[in-house]
Amino acid sequence: MDSRPSSRVLRYFVSLATVCLSGWLAGQVAKTDAVGLALTVAQPASPPTGEVIGAPSPRNANYSIDVRLDPDRRTLTGRETVTWRNISNITTQELQFHLYYNAWKNTQSTWMRERLLGRGNRLHGSPEDAWGWIEITAVRLLSEDPVDLTQDVRHISPDDGNLDDQTVLAVDLPNQVEPGETITLEIEWTSRIPRTFARTGAIADYFFIAQWFPKLGVLEDTGWNCHQFHASTEFFSDYGVYDVRITVPQGWVVGATGAEQTRHENADGTTTHSYHQEDVHDFAWVTSPHLIDLWDEFTHPDLPDVAIRLLIQPEHVAQASRYFEATRATLQHFGEWFGAYPYSHVTVVDPAWQSGSGGMEYPTFFTGGTRWWAPDDVATPEAVTIHEAGHQFWYGVVGNNEFEHAWLDEGLTTFATARVLEESFEPQFRTVRFFGGFVPWVLRDLPWSRTIDGDRVTGYRRDARQDTQSTPTFQYWPGTAGSITYDKTALWLHTLERHLGWSTLQRGMSTFYEEWRFAHPKPADFFRAISDASEQDLSWFFDQAHGEASTFDYGIDDFTSRPINHRGFFGEDQPSFSETSDAELFETTVVVRRYGDGTFPVEVLTEFQDGSKVRETWEGTDRWKAFTYVRNARATRAFVDPDRVLLLDTQATNNSRTITPMGETAAKKWSLTWLVWLQDLLLTYGFFI
Amino acid sequence: MASLAPRPSLDIRVLHLTNALLDGIRRVAKAPTLVVGVYMVTLLTTIPLGIVIYNAIAIDLGNSVAADTAVTSVNWEWWEEFQSRSSGITRTFNPRILGFAAVLTNLSNFVDSRLPATEIVLAAGVYLGAWIFLVGGIIDRLARQRRTASAGFFAVCGIFFFRFIRLGLLAGIAYWIVFGLVHHWLFDVLYIAATENLAVERSALLIQMALYVVFGLLLLPVNLVFDYAKIRAVVEDRHSMVGAVLAAVRFVRRHPTSTFGLYLLNSGLFLAIVVLYALVATIPGTVGSSISLGFAVGQAYLVARLILKLVFLSSQTAFFQSQLAHADYVAIATPVWPDSPAAEGIGLAQK
Repeated sequence: MDSRPSSRVLRYFVSLATVCLSGWLAGQVAKTDAVGLALTVAQPASPPTGEVIGAPSPRNANYSIDVRLDPDRRTLTGRETVTWRNISNITTQELQFHLYYNAWKNTQSTWMRERLLGRGNRLHGSPEDAWGWIEITAVRLLSEDPVDLTQDVRHISPDDGNLDDQTVLAVDLPNQVEPGETITLEIEWTSRIPRTFARTGAIADYFFIAQWFPKLGVLEDTGWNCHQFHASTEFFSDYGVYDVRITVPQGWVVGATGAEQTRHENADGTTTHSYHQEDVHDFAWVTSPHLIDLWDEFTHPDLPDVAIRLLIQPEHVAQASRYFEATRATLQHFGEWFGAYPYSHVTVVDPAWQSGSGGMEYPTFFTGGTRWWAPDDVATPEAVTIHEAGHQFWYGVVGNNEFEHAWLDEGLTTFATARVLEESFEPQFRTVRFFGGFVPWVLRDLPWSRTIDGDRVTGYRRDARQDTQSTPTFQYWPGTAGSITYDKTALWLHTLERHLGWSTLQRGMSTFYEEWRFAHPKPADFFRAISDASEQDLSWFFDQAHGEASTFDYGIDDFTSRPINHRGFFGEDQPSFSETSDAELFETTVVVRRYGDGTFPVEVLTEFQDGSKVRETWEGTDRWKAFTYVRNARATRAFVDPDRVLLLDTQATNNSRTITPMGETAAKKWSLTWLVWLQDLLLTYGFFI
Repeated sequence: MASLAPRPSLDIRVLHLTNALLDGIRRVAKAPTLVVGVYMVTLLTTIPLGIVIYNAIAIDLGNSVAADTAVTSVNWEWWEEFQSRSSGITRTFNPRILGFAAVLTNLSNFVDSRLPATEIVLAAGVYLGAWIFLVGGIIDRLARQRRTASAGFFAVCGIFFFRFIRLGLLAGIAYWIVFGLVHHWLFDVLYIAATENLAVERSALLIQMALYVVFGLLLLPVNLVFDYAKIRAVVEDRHSMVGAVLAAVRFVRRHPTSTFGLYLLNSGLFLAIVVLYALVATIPGTVGSSISLGFAVGQAYLVARLILKLVFLSSQTAFFQSQLAHADYVAIATPVWPDSPAAEGIGLAQK
């Protein structure tokens, strides 16, 4: 890579020209697509079937759905047949369904109220056509003698008692459902598609449809686990088989969870796309007349082949290979580290600009996200693609309860995303955007780093004390839930990686993956898997990282290294005053202090002028500890946690001291850099004179 | 008597403005003290705030080994930590100041009408105040094309300071309309309405760029008129700033091709300087002389911009003076300082 500034700037302008050209070409492609001459790469020779590779899930929540989209009225009309088997150990006489679309019905829903708390009231001013809702029109219990239950439904608010919230529907059954028993319900509904809230909705003729159908909660041995929709949580459902028939206008491209089985042209100018997928816990889909349909595949000597379908916006078609490459890298690394991806296909959606649907995972289907001008050496769209592809493992295959323990899939995925980026996509650089955010400038002096950028230490440092991670996620403070869920987990996992070694952590995570495939693990299950892999009790760590809002901060409190000087009264019988000094011997004192409330064993490294080093371990439980050395060399530098094992340490600058400080030199360099910026700013405002 | 004086041909007008530009460059080249002066003003305005940043960084790094990396490269871990501890002006010490990104940051904020931190606004206020004081002397010096000596220079500065404060109030109203009302309407109302339901970023970018052009087309004449208002005020020793603005409007209306052409020619030079800086922009690196070298590159760019600012004024002044009525047609003035440059020019022409 030519790093000369002139070459970089030249490349920048060439890049601008290339982007413009590719954008124009993409526009031509879109026009071609619109008249039916679609630019597509053929599907693989053996099209995906929607079957799972290996042992199936319990398949206790199975859906057969017919849905029709009216794009002009922005409505969905649907009918579903839900076949549910009670796999818990308790009986129940009701079913509970999520009606997520009602979160955006009005300002009084729990989602909107929490959103107001955490991020302000921007959405509260949404225009009339932005809101969405779902209305159940019929409920029938299917049996030899069908029972109409339409009048036996009611909205409940199990989390906060908010009577205005309609995101959970309880259906009273005429009879109890015993453990192991199966029942079938038919539900009809209509819904209004919102302008995107929480990554589902529509803009122009791009429809991203998620959390759109009445979806069963999970019956646990303690009762129904069917939370209201909250501003800072996602989802939780049982696994099953989905057969979904989606009717959209003819010529519109459809992508969805699962594999397309058939496509039927209807007389009314619509097309019905039939999708089938086994062993998943959700179903989402996208449709638009403009999406470009591309295919590629992932092959690996030790992992199953995966067909990758990319539905990309015409203006981003030049970035298709980047989406494919990121998805392949994820399937490879996650597959090698944790376990094989059990489906034969995955669909990647490049979301429309302003659709708000980017960066979201659904089983075998996810959205990435990029910009029209996306420099090659910035990880957009790679980072978000890897993250959402990674969720196919942590969320898709291991289906934890995202209402209560969102950190379990989000944190693990964030941690592993940074690892994949480091393995496959370095160097990457930070970027800043100008002129309304359209024009990027790559900061090649600031390479992306796994620790800081990947683990997102900034957010954690800011919000570390906002919530204890063990608090159910839906009860996190909405404004800072992301930092506790994503950032903190990535940091403590990376800390564990450095503390235990990658092979140990990887072994624990892969065991956890295999053990909880198509199941619903709890945090303790993860902790046990890691502890078992490390053959040590790590509860001291998990109790702090997960069970408390502790912050960690170790630092060098004092660092001196002086020639030894004896002064005072010496001698036993008749002490006499004397003063002696030994220019050859130096007494070095390093005082290490624990400023935070969290404890972690840390190493203390002291370096001496003669090149020697002393490395000691401190369990780090006391508030401070002094290390004293008498040597014939002066100490030069002292470090606590010199290898930066404890990435949860929020203040790394105080982790070291030197006797030859360069702080003023650095200050000179950086203040002069800042000064140039300020002078330029003044000259810019000098325009007015 | 416009009907009796046919408009010069396009070739002649192009010649006029290229001559004016060259003349403007020549006049600035012969006034190096002005360049040094305005550079010193720029430097001195910023140094106090630079010291604040210096102290904040020095205290934050202290005896930490993190400083070693911060000296030899960019220590992002420390910087990011420093930002989390920052408040007030130190929050402006962020990656957007690195190399050419600094220029883009300022240009972007300018055209997007975003104000910087309060402390920076105050510094900008002081800086603009200094320019309001100096610009009368600067135009006078450039118009006379001879040394005016410190006493003469500052005397003119003093004479025009209060006039230019009045002119500044008029300009402030005009720019407030452009940046506060028109910009708001273009970008916060029209742009939002045009892109609200747009799902294609490329189209939004085109709309944004088109609006920048529209905004520029509205801003340019305002800036042009106030440029010539300053020039007419000084060259013709005008006391009424309303009169100067009206005279400037008349002048621009009489010479639209040349005044706009000259403005665009100067703007082209500005772009050339910016692109050139983009090619060489760097951050001061490692220790010792390279820190100074990096700083020097930045200063060279700033000096180039300051020279261009003077050339802007100078070439416009030269053009205006070239369009003055022939000296033979007006009464002979006795050029005794502080007579206006126009009087002095007429006197010289009649010798």
